[in-house]
Amino acid sequence: MVWGSMIAWYLFLAGASAGAFLTAAFVEAKYPDSVKMRVAGRIIAPIFLGIGLLMLMLDAEAGLRNPLRFFYLVMNPGSVMTLGVYFICVFMPVSLAAALLEVLRRPVPKWLTWTGIVSAFCVAAYTGFLLGVVQAYPLWNNAILPVLFVVSALSAGLAATSLVGLVTDRARFEQMWLIKKGHVILSAIEMVVLFTMLVIVSSGSPEGAASVASLVSGEYAPMFWGGLVLLGLVAPFAIEGYPVFITRKVETSTTSMIVSVIGEGGVLVGGFMLRLLVILAALPVLYL
Amino acid sequence: MTRYGMLINTKKCVGCYACRVACQMVNGLAPEESFIAFNEVEQGAYPNVYAEVVPVQCMHCEDAPCEAVCPTHATYTTDSGVVLVDEGKCIGCKYCMAACPYGARVQIEETGVIEKCRFCWYEGEPGNPPRCVNTCISGARIFGDLDDPESEICREIARTNAQPLAGDLTAAKIYYVR
Amino acid sequence: MYVKEALMSSKPTRRTFLKGTAATAALAAVGTCSLGAWQAQRAEAADDSAKAQGPSLCNGCSSKCGLIATTLGGRLWTVEGMEAHPYSKGTLCGRGHGAAQWAYSDGRLTQPMKRQNDGSFAPISWDDAFAEIGAKVQEIIAEAGPEALAVIQDPRPSGKYYSKRFMNALGSANVYTHAAACNLSKESGIQEATGATNFSVDFANTKMVVFIGRSYGDGIRPSSVKSLAGAADAGARVVIVDPRLNNTGIFATDWVPIKPGCDIALLLGIANVLVTRDLYDHEFVEQSCTGFPEFAAQVAEYTPEWAEGVCDVPADTIVELAESLAAAAPACAIEPSWRAAFGCAYQNSFETARAVCAVNALLGCWGQKGGALITSSPKAGDLDPVKFPKVPEPAAKRVGDEEYPLALAGTGTNLAVLNGCNDGTVQGVFFYNSNAVQGYAQPAMWRVAVVAAKLVVAIDVQMSETALASHYVLPECTVLERFELPEFIGGKKHFAALRTPIIERVHPDTKSCDEIFTGLAEACGVGQYFPFTVEELAEAQLATVGTSVEAVREAGIVELADPGFAFGTPVFKTPTEKFQFTSAKVAEAGLNPVIGYVPRLVEPAEDEFYLVGGKQGIHSHTMTLNLEALNAISREYGLERLWMAAADAAELGIADGDTVELSSSEHTGTVTVKVTERLKPGVLFMPTHYGSTSPYLTRAQGFGLNMMDFVPLHLEPAVGSTMSQEVAVKVRKVEG
Repeated sequence: MVWGSMIAWYLFLAGASAGAFLTAAFVEAKYPDSVKMRVAGRIIAPIFLGIGLLMLMLDAEAGLRNPLRFFYLVMNPGSVMTLGVYFICVFMPVSLAAALLEVLRRPVPKWLTWTGIVSAFCVAAYTGFLLGVVQAYPLWNNAILPVLFVVSALSAGLAATSLVGLVTDRARFEQMWLIKKGHVILSAIEMVVLFTMLVIVSSGSPEGAASVASLVSGEYAPMFWGGLVLLGLVAPFAIEGYPVFITRKVETSTTSMIVSVIGEGGVLVGGFMLRLLVILAALPVLYL
Repeated sequence: MTRYGMLINTKKCVGCYACRVACQMVNGLAPEESFIAFNEVEQGAYPNVYAEVVPVQCMHCEDAPCEAVCPTHATYTTDSGVVLVDEGKCIGCKYCMAACPYGARVQIEETGVIEKCRFCWYEGEPGNPPRCVNTCISGARIFGDLDDPESEICREIARTNAQPLAGDLTAAKIYYVR
Repeated sequence: MYVKEALMSSKPTRRTFLKGTAATAALAAVGTCSLGAWQAQRAEAADDSAKAQGPSLCNGCSSKCGLIATTLGGRLWTVEGMEAHPYSKGTLCGRGHGAAQWAYSDGRLTQPMKRQNDGSFAPISWDDAFAEIGAKVQEIIAEAGPEALAVIQDPRPSGKYYSKRFMNALGSANVYTHAAACNLSKESGIQEATGATNFSVDFANTKMVVFIGRSYGDGIRPSSVKSLAGAADAGARVVIVDPRLNNTGIFATDWVPIKPGCDIALLLGIANVLVTRDLYDHEFVEQSCTGFPEFAAQVAEYTPEWAEGVCDVPADTIVELAESLAAAAPACAIEPSWRAAFGCAYQNSFETARAVCAVNALLGCWGQKGGALITSSPKAGDLDPVKFPKVPEPAAKRVGDEEYPLALAGTGTNLAVLNGCNDGTVQGVFFYNSNAVQGYAQPAMWRVAVVAAKLVVAIDVQMSETALASHYVLPECTVLERFELPEFIGGKKHFAALRTPIIERVHPDTKSCDEIFTGLAEACGVGQYFPFTVEELAEAQLATVGTSVEAVREAGIVELADPGFAFGTPVFKTPTEKFQFTSAKVAEAGLNPVIGYVPRLVEPAEDEFYLVGGKQGIHSHTMTLNLEALNAISREYGLERLWMAAADAAELGIADGDTVELSSSEHTGTVTVKVTERLKPGVLFMPTHYGSTSPYLTRAQGFGLNMMDFVPLHLEPAVGSTMSQEVAVKVRKVEG
């Protein structure tokens, strides 16, 4: 396998970073009082991305030994990776500035937020396209993967931010129905998109079928079903969906909080698992 | 224009690995690092079996996916169609490894750079011939100018109807007799 | 500058060297955009007269191909095949490239070693080692006579001369080669039939050639592969008779899977068809052969149907092969083989070799265009007896020659040494370039035998299993670090070539073969027979064939006087001066004098498998397994795996990559399985390079299995070969 867990971390953290920034922007627009969550999202964004970029650089050994070579990263606009660098070059300073302003308790200008929103979407999408354009791997080379990654990025960013909100400002958090509904819907969408992708990849080529088989019934099945599907999708869907769509009441018990933490944590674990599994399970088309 | 390419006749390859080790020596590769991979292909069932060894290395594609995805332009193509790696620009991101449909890119442990066959390009031109061709014990490899219809390689490609491994997928410049 | 750095360190490691070449190569990779840097690098290196080229001879196998080595700053960079050498013809195989790097291998012996009482080894000086060995040799001679001393060697240009001269000077005739575990039966059989020990197929003109077990694509000599590729290109029919579709299969028109050890039945079946259907060459048989009537009478029994019952090749196939051969005759031949299926493998190996010759005789292809050619070899003439004093003929006959009268005079059977150690007739053994313990017979048996000896000395470049079983281990410098005696090459043309040093000795405390044997001779009191240097001897030898060290060193190889090869029925140098369908010597040895059927010895029971071995192109017996570049290939491609037919695997519930336990009456071991369609069901194939037990050979130890561990110790009657494939094994799946 070409890449390993380092790149999975990077893809996950970059996506979650973008998602967190978008969550913060959403919170700012819809729930101006939820300061803590907004600030959390704004701070998580540059931190996650920073850690992710560190992972990326650690994995790029030749560059790590000759750091000046990283400047060449802007050289090929035809490469999705270079495009990603452009997006990150915008998103990283913007999210950093926004976080700094929040920390300094200064207002974040609208134009900065909007620049951040656009670049965050680009970053989230790019992590999917980075793999999506690689023709050699059917599991990557399909139109659905970028969608899946964007949905997962939003979901993970939302979860990371929500987790902070849940712990630091629970009363307000439990009232943010739009956030909670959005979260459930994202999980549902992700399930559908993941299912669709696996079906399409599986039927497209023998290598794609083998990749999917290794996920659903092979080597990676425990991680896939336990980590991604159960913990990352089904559990959060049920945990969030039950109060939001069935009981429709505000939970206050400690038990429900623990369950919620598990749900949000599950999304994060699932988000990482998704990237890791997509990287590990991909088999190249053999031309022989 | 000169456009360098290679022909590999699997009907002559006994899988002796001479090309691999000769390549390692000239390129100073570690024993575990190789620019040439060998695929044993078995077809049919006993006793009607056909077995061949298919050596795979950088195809010097005209439409090189590794070059397309390389974010630093470390991978580039010379005027004579040889795909090279500029070590001074390679960050080792491995995007080229992922993009290459032939799995021909190799990370060099010593430097972290993602290298590959470069037709023994040393002094502004490819080896004459590259080492793998030079040492092939059965003459299974031919190197030459694909733009010169009189060259040995062109005549042999025409005679044997040799084809790139993946058809016209990447406009590869290594032709195979199967 | 990296090259300089490597030069400056007193004991440069392979790693620093690689760093150097990687740096230069990396600079090269920059190509047009830093061509300047690459050229500057080269110019800088040129100050140390960095790049140099020289000819030498490969030591990857016993072919000893010519090579041209290029060094950068005194360190080996590349090797390529010598154009003018008849074996390399401009190319080198994988193992040639790998073995060239031997000097830098981390598995080398760097100084003499002596075994301690606890079995471990400690360094000893050359002087002490020579003195102690000399004293022991004198002791053995005093107690048991010089005939209690023996040397076993895998022939190399200097080694075959010096080891024999050393042993003869001590008064012993006990000089043996590796042949009993290689090609003894085949050479002996061919000799009894034709008077020559080998022959070659005239591939340039052949219309049909049949390989019995041998695979040019696995036991590689580049020129053989080229010849066969040429014949295949020219449309020759190439038939491979082998339980396994080997790597020569790519050139084959036919694969005839056969029951192991039963090739003789196929050959006799073909002979039956040729004789009974009157398809044989009457002129040749009547004028140039002896014993045909007896042979014809006997071969009548060996009908194709009978042969099918024995060897499991359909009678129709046998008839078709015989008819096609007859149609192609005389431009066709059964190939002589080497180790493969009847070099030393079965009870009937000697007889199989004779049967090969018999079929070729019936086809009348001896000496014919496209047929089986017997060519001559050059050798050095008589030397100045003052400078190179003659060694007296040893009084006692060689141990083993009486029991194994069909073993070749030039090789003997080295297993006589094993038996001799056990019964006390041999008490001192020298091994040169020979891993007898691991490869010549069951290692456990060898270990027991040599423990009984008073003195065991191994001369090698690495701590082989044989070295481990020795009292003294003397380190030889590696192939490109040494000068050796001329290699004389026969064939349609004659040549002389030289192994000359390309690089400085990496480990200064190693010595060359001539230095070691001269030192031993002096220590043993027979130094008077070695008053010359290897260069002086080489010069004298080359002078007798009309050339010189300088001339050969310059060109790498020199063509000698034309031996005047011509097509046509050859002179058979047998006692009868004819091709022999019957042999008096074979009769004297107590065997059937007429070429006929001999069964294999061990037949597998219902739940057992045949086990066959074979070479892989990148390895030379057990000696190359630890070499970095070659070991890496074996590991990457799982070359140590045991091959199993897909049908058998399905029946036993074994999948590709599973681990199995393999057991015979002698040994049990586990190994990974390669499931393949390229194997006859009921047969397992094991490459014969693996399963090292030497802890000094770190990447070879414990990797794969050694086939000889599984084979009972038994010698081919009258010949003394090791019968390396007379074994039946069981297989069962185990957890990996």
